[in-house]
Amino acid sequence: MSAALLEIENLTKSFGGVRAVRNCTFSVPEGQVTGLIGPNGAGKSTVVDLVSGFGRPDSGGIRFAGEPLIGKRPDVISRLGLIRTFQTPREWPNLTVLDNLLLARRRFAAESLWRCLARARRIRREEEADRAAVRAILERYQLIELRNELAVRLSGGQKRLLEFARIAAAEPRLIILDEPMGGVNPVLGARIGEAVGQFAAEGRTVVVVEHNLPFIEKTCHQVVVMDLGEVIAQGPFSGLRDNPRVVDAYLGMDQSHG
Amino acid sequence: MYWVSVFTEAAVFAILALGLDVIWGWTGDFDLAFYGYLALGSYFTFVLSIGKPVPPVEYIIGWHLPVVAAIVLAVVAVVCVAAVVGAIALRNLRGIYFAITTLGAVSALYLLVENYTPLFNGYNGVYGLVNPGQSALNLTYDGYRVLFLVVVLVLLFLAYLLVQRLSRSPFGRMLRSVREDERAAAAYGRPVFFAKYRAYLFGAALAGLAGGLFAIFISAFNTGAWSPQELLVIYAAILVGGRGNPRGVILGVFVVYIGFIELTRYLPSPASRPEFGPALRQVLIGLMLVLMLKFRPEGIFRERPGVDHGPGPAGHPVSGRIGARAGGGPAPAPAPAAPAGAGDALSAGLAHDGAPEGPGSDDGGPG
Repeated sequence: MSAALLEIENLTKSFGGVRAVRNCTFSVPEGQVTGLIGPNGAGKSTVVDLVSGFGRPDSGGIRFAGEPLIGKRPDVISRLGLIRTFQTPREWPNLTVLDNLLLARRRFAAESLWRCLARARRIRREEEADRAAVRAILERYQLIELRNELAVRLSGGQKRLLEFARIAAAEPRLIILDEPMGGVNPVLGARIGEAVGQFAAEGRTVVVVEHNLPFIEKTCHQVVVMDLGEVIAQGPFSGLRDNPRVVDAYLGMDQSHG
Repeated sequence: MYWVSVFTEAAVFAILALGLDVIWGWTGDFDLAFYGYLALGSYFTFVLSIGKPVPPVEYIIGWHLPVVAAIVLAVVAVVCVAAVVGAIALRNLRGIYFAITTLGAVSALYLLVENYTPLFNGYNGVYGLVNPGQSALNLTYDGYRVLFLVVVLVLLFLAYLLVQRLSRSPFGRMLRSVREDERAAAAYGRPVFFAKYRAYLFGAALAGLAGGLFAIFISAFNTGAWSPQELLVIYAAILVGGRGNPRGVILGVFVVYIGFIELTRYLPSPASRPEFGPALRQVLIGLMLVLMLKFRPEGIFRERPGVDHGPGPAGHPVSGRIGARAGGGPAPAPAPAAPAGAGDALSAGLAHDGAPEGPGSDDGGPG
């Protein structure tokens, strides 16, 4: 197994009296796809929020490429090379599809007020390379014809694709997908599977929070199972069927529902 | 001369509105303290240029700087005040909470200025900045006023160029991403507070400049000359002209100030009811706002999204309609993008780009 890119140690977070995450410990190996599964309320999304800086744990540690993340703001963590999604696609609705991708490109140096005033021409020239890269990505996600459309006008499925196109444009080291298959039809689901596979093929590390177990089985190298805020199992998907705790907490329930 | 004065005032307010649009139009913060920055810009321009106070008049500083230097320093002072207000209000407050906080700030400022006379001579205010440089330029009063209008228009044009340049730059795009979805902006590495803060200070600087020009325009300034409510007219102007579109904002100010405030002065009032005309004007402004919001909420000029004129999909030209559909969804309707309201003509035009266009095409949209 390759070295861990993301290490989570004894993470604990309470909301009022509810302990959403307790002593959660697991690690994400670099270059692999890790599934994070568990019943509703297991604390998966809370872990995602804590890792990406959108929440602050009560205790515990998070290390990304060896660097501790606790106390860092979401934008700082993102700049370290971590991109997360949210349960619903969060495009920038009243910007064009192309602008959405150019923003995801994250040329922070070009966003300085002074440089934009004093060197507008040069910045626009430098952006041409980014535009070309972004157009190629849009082409891959079949959004190229919509590039001048406001993102708000896209269909739900197109917004999902835009989300993945944005990640591709950002070229992050670690991608955390929060329920990418929510409300997605089978054809689009297959394309999302391909996109995740492509990220992995490019050497990016992916964490997928998902309820769709066939999807997890197909795309993930290893799986972390959470229940009631705790990690109850970790390993390859095939091994989980024999784990009584997992069957009890999740798989059994899933099977009984068909 | 009446119209010279009307246009001068409108141009000053257009500079103010450009600044407010950076804050409200681009980053989405409904700032109610903004008129206070114009007032402070005015006050500082006075106290930096009219010399020592003669008792019983009292105010701070009392320097005798050339008026241009006074305005520059006034802008710096305004940005400093905005830096304090913004640091408090922008950090964690959003939406209505931000608006209320800024309203509190400007109300506190208003009461302070009105009641604490050593600051800016209380409600009597400051005065004595009468046509600075008129004798040096050897101009008549009317000639000076016309020249001042030209100067203000030139400054408005420069401010427009500056704001327009920023609006279409990566900086403007980044601010809009914060407006559109703050969490997504943070998830993609944008420091939300710092982004909003920079926009806030930039906007306040324009308000300070507008304040300095306003000082010359009205040559005396007291609490009767400004109140926090006046800002609502500027918001109305931005709404009418087109939030987020610098050209629209300027047009909106001229439409609202000249079209509604000035032209409606000519509304007839019965002799027995002289207040009828002014009251009707308020009604008309309200009616205009309601109608705009109902029928054209994006304003006369809508915010112009960045348009990509680069090559379309390899091999075949780009058509104007929505083509690709994700995941084998229902076949696309063969209609041009979206229901065609008046406002969609522009966006339908944007979706079409086939033929290569000249470099200038970035500036002039269709229509």
